[in-house]
Amino acid sequence: MRFVIRRLLLFVVALFGISVVVFAALRILPGDVASIMAGINAPASRVAQLREQLGLNRPLVAQYFDWMGALVTGDFGTSILTGRSVTALIGARASITFPLIIVGLLIAMLIGLPLGCAAVLARSPRVRMAFHVLAIIGGSVPALWGGLLLILLFGKGVGLVGILPSQGFPLDGWGEPVGAMLSLILPAFTVGIIVGASLMRYTRAALGDLANSGYIDMARSCGMTRTQAVLRVGLRLAMPQLVSVIGLTFASMVTGVMVIENLFALPGIGNGLVTDVGNRDLIAVQSELFLLAAFFLTIGLIVDVLHRLLDPRLKNASGVSEVSA
Amino acid sequence: MSQDNGAHAESGATGATTDASLASRAKNPKKNGPKWWLISLIAVIVAVAVVIGVTLAYAKKDNGTASGNGAAQANTVTIGLKLAPTNLDIRNTAGSALDQILIGNVYEGIVARDSKNQVTPAIASSWEESKDGLTYTFHLNKNMVFSNGDTLDAEDVAWSINELIAKQYHDADALEAVSKVEAKDADTVVITLKTPNSNLLWTLTGRAGLVFDKDAKYDLKTQAVGSGPYTVAKFVENDSITLKANEKYWGKNKAKTPTIVVKYLADDNAAVNALKSGDVQVLAPITENLAEPFTSDPSKYVVKAGDGTDKYVLGFNNASGSKLADKRIRQAIRYAINHDELIASRGGADKALGGPIPSLDPGYEDLTDLYPYDQDKAKSLMAAVGYSEDKPLELTLTYANIYGTELGDQLRSQLKPIGIDLKVNVVEFSTWLQDVYTNHDFDISLVDHNESHDFYTWTDPTYYFGYDNKDVQKLYAEGIAATTDKERDAKFAEAAKLISEDAPADWLFNYRITTATAKGVEGFPFDLNQTVLPLYNVTYSLAEFSQK
Repeated sequence: MRFVIRRLLLFVVALFGISVVVFAALRILPGDVASIMAGINAPASRVAQLREQLGLNRPLVAQYFDWMGALVTGDFGTSILTGRSVTALIGARASITFPLIIVGLLIAMLIGLPLGCAAVLARSPRVRMAFHVLAIIGGSVPALWGGLLLILLFGKGVGLVGILPSQGFPLDGWGEPVGAMLSLILPAFTVGIIVGASLMRYTRAALGDLANSGYIDMARSCGMTRTQAVLRVGLRLAMPQLVSVIGLTFASMVTGVMVIENLFALPGIGNGLVTDVGNRDLIAVQSELFLLAAFFLTIGLIVDVLHRLLDPRLKNASGVSEVSA
Repeated sequence: MSQDNGAHAESGATGATTDASLASRAKNPKKNGPKWWLISLIAVIVAVAVVIGVTLAYAKKDNGTASGNGAAQANTVTIGLKLAPTNLDIRNTAGSALDQILIGNVYEGIVARDSKNQVTPAIASSWEESKDGLTYTFHLNKNMVFSNGDTLDAEDVAWSINELIAKQYHDADALEAVSKVEAKDADTVVITLKTPNSNLLWTLTGRAGLVFDKDAKYDLKTQAVGSGPYTVAKFVENDSITLKANEKYWGKNKAKTPTIVVKYLADDNAAVNALKSGDVQVLAPITENLAEPFTSDPSKYVVKAGDGTDKYVLGFNNASGSKLADKRIRQAIRYAINHDELIASRGGADKALGGPIPSLDPGYEDLTDLYPYDQDKAKSLMAAVGYSEDKPLELTLTYANIYGTELGDQLRSQLKPIGIDLKVNVVEFSTWLQDVYTNHDFDISLVDHNESHDFYTWTDPTYYFGYDNKDVQKLYAEGIAATTDKERDAKFAEAAKLISEDAPADWLFNYRITTATAKGVEGFPFDLNQTVLPLYNVTYSLAEFSQK
């Protein structure tokens, strides 16, 4: 319990630090939204007028505290350019990105975990080598190329077996559930295969270490076959490590799938963030980055807690230290 | 638990029994083993089957509705464009993406322009200009309404233009000469000028002449209430706009297709795939080189380049103190650039341009002969200033990443032999705006100046070119004050020639937009379609599609 409280305090401090860094870093960027809005044929007076109107001339400290003050009350501000609330913007984008990465991660786990186990279990060195090569190839395919390949295979109107839509999200979004789901299949598989390959390598490494450890010898000496020992004892022991990897992979996928969103013309989080930075829509960008950071931290927190639940040794260790402290 | 304890107790006594009991336990998971694999295998097969099943069912349903409509035209046409508007606020936000989609479709101006860039009637059915060029009287159509049902009369027209001037909305500077705008009666508007302005009518075809509903309250960033043939049914920023036919539309440009969806496809590959897969029926623009799969399949696609006012301007920093203040260097660059080669490498659709005025703007004259490609002349000019290939002049070319890296590389290699070491600095558009446009901190810049009638930028010494020529400024002022088009055109042409001779920039080419459509699409404009894109005429007949 004490552990969780301490982690939560750290969480708040980290968020505060992030808000300062994000705010400051964005102000260093050259250019501003007023000149974007005025365009390249407007007189300088027009830019100055817009800057005044949008409050870009006010002192930075005041701007920061305005933003923070609103943030504390749960108001993430309004995008200068689109005129929509940042919450609504992120909500719309997340409704594409999150289903995409959740399905992608499930596919990755379906591919990566069994193959990783199989790579450890295989007896013949040739088969092991084959798995190794498979993992390297899968992990080194650039997302863009992999996605294009899948489009060429399955994209509607383009592919050899053209059955799946490869462009964009239905206009009504999830109001058209079948279309929405279909439009996510190819991108999710692209993500899944690439992330799956890296999961496979992690599984193989974690399990491979354990397979040569005393735990497995012990289990086998208790009568398990090697396969049983690895799958039942080894996998259980590797679990905390794998949970960490999967959790952090999940977090990094939020922005990591940007290339894929672009390729499949999906207006997701990563895509939107790049557009907003390009337009110097700083109020939107800073709130988006802040929320992303909060999301990363939350996932980190969850992983840490899960880690403890899955690995009782950690609990004991901290228990001892807490007593001694 | 108790059994475990029993086993431990026994293990101390007899090992053989332990082995046996462990072995017998070991069998249990073995029975479970294949089941686990079997279940997951079945699960995967079922999942795949469901996905394929749903896909096929969905695809069938799709075809069903299509053939259900028979040979008639489609109810929805989807158009793929490239640059997306970030909001719908046409009064405040710059960018031709907004003009393109809203003017003539959702909002209407007091006058409009056709695909040859000429002024045509819109809200006003006719107009007169006084002899001295100071008074314009517009006679409006009758029984006009906005899409929300409000009537549109002279009050709205006068209010819209007066608001633009009072609040200094985008393009207000183009109406500097206007002294007042009045509604004489319900269908007459009079615009009075302080000084004659031969560009006034054309200016009013753009944002400056748009008519808004005086009484409507709405968020201009996310909604649009106009009097055009379409209304904005849905807008997803940076992604798509859905236009629905305006049921209350008053005029003769009635929408032929009930729903038009505009998808913004920033990625070129995504755009090509979208047309191939039938997700969109039109792509504009598409680069010549990427259009190849469509050009080679004329039975299914139509590919055509249209005229436009896009000028790829290689602007020099002409301010005193700049490395390019010496005219000989600027001239050398112009002689050294092989325009035909640049155009050919882009697919050949673009047109050579020798001066600041493109063919669709008033005062155009072919000036490409002024600086023909001549490397020797360029070399001797550079040598006169003291530079050669061995002792090159270092210059930096700064431009926004939206134009790709090829142009910079080509220019670099074309300028190398004459003794210019060109550093190419490709930046974000907002960085370009800050460094080049605002702070004038650059040697050479490259921009697609796509706006029509933007010749005035050469008469403003504070513009980023830093070009200050009193003769040009005088000629331009005379052209603007001219009361006949002929007089205006002559003055502009003379000024343009002076500018081109001074070499304050090189005009790489007049970019011509290539548009690809699926066969069966009719009424989509090819000329000028990145700024003026009337959609009321667009139809798509599925008969062609089902023949496929």
